[in-house]
Amino acid sequence: MARIVGGFVAPHNPVMYFNPQGATQEQSDACYGAYAAMADRIKELEADAAIVIGCDHYILFGTECLPPYVISTGEIEGPVDQLPGLKRKPLLSHGALGAHIAAEGSRTGFDWTVGRALNVDHSVAVPHHLMLEPTGKDIPIVAVMLACGVDPYLPMARAWALGEHIADAVASFPSDERIVVIGSGGISHHVGDERMGEVNPAFDQKVLDIVTRGDKDAMLALTDEEILRDGGNGAMEIRTFACAMAATRAAGGRVVGYEPVEGWVTGMGFAELEVAA
Amino acid sequence: MSRNTLEKVLYDLSTSGANKKKFAEDPDKFLSRYQLSEDERALIRDYKVRDLADLGVNTMLTWGFWLQAGKSNRDYLKIMKREEA
Repeated sequence: MARIVGGFVAPHNPVMYFNPQGATQEQSDACYGAYAAMADRIKELEADAAIVIGCDHYILFGTECLPPYVISTGEIEGPVDQLPGLKRKPLLSHGALGAHIAAEGSRTGFDWTVGRALNVDHSVAVPHHLMLEPTGKDIPIVAVMLACGVDPYLPMARAWALGEHIADAVASFPSDERIVVIGSGGISHHVGDERMGEVNPAFDQKVLDIVTRGDKDAMLALTDEEILRDGGNGAMEIRTFACAMAATRAAGGRVVGYEPVEGWVTGMGFAELEVAA
Repeated sequence: MSRNTLEKVLYDLSTSGANKKKFAEDPDKFLSRYQLSEDERALIRDYKVRDLADLGVNTMLTWGFWLQAGKSNRDYLKIMKREEA
């Protein structure tokens, strides 16, 4: 059966692309170095496929239909919100794995919305660009999109349960493939509100501590009120971290890098997740 | 006031070049497609992003709406902070 062999959390900051000068050279080097280190680890782990857990930014899904969680089961294309140096293109998809997870979900209480030809935004395309493409291997992906940017938000506990379900489903997928999971999101950041540009290193550190301790209780204890107050509306994306933690069975991990980059309006946190035996 | 339709308009404008063009050419005609009051139409027509946000409109949309019109990020932040833009 397939198995999850590695996990990561990393930002998907589009500002890096359209305003690279927003960070100092040292900050930029540290962030791109962290992405490169994670790509090296994915290569070392000999990953055959990746499950990239992203989130919509009111780009993919409109008021007509706002799904709580979506999974790709066929072709993938993106990012629809093209960036300098990151143009829209087909992304190699592992449709069979996505379809298996969706089918297992239907059987066990997770009614996925499926994207049979899914468009993704930068939350999937940036980690694909900076963590998967540098491996030199065209690693197929399953794209998962959680409702983190548009209300009603996916509850943190549901994001966690979804991660556990993904782990169970991967373990019953009939192949010997090695899978890595990437939780894609920034920590503190404010998108479009009056606090845009504020970064909160104390909140960022708290989240990274929770992630690297594999602390389920502390993660689920983060209320939306606290996240919005201390981390901003963009920090709601740490639901992707919860999902990735649960998918690796919350075995802890290590910080790969952290930079509070006000010019990129984001607390940029990178961590590798251990996978429970 | 309907936050839903206000968000629908901004979403439609942020995701469709054709919609952006129609809005730029004739805002009132474009906005007549939507279930909006005259006050709501004015908020969009006049780029009242602070007022839209105060009505609960998602600020990812208000920010994108502002930028797609070629307006500056600096002015956006001033308005959101209730400073003179």
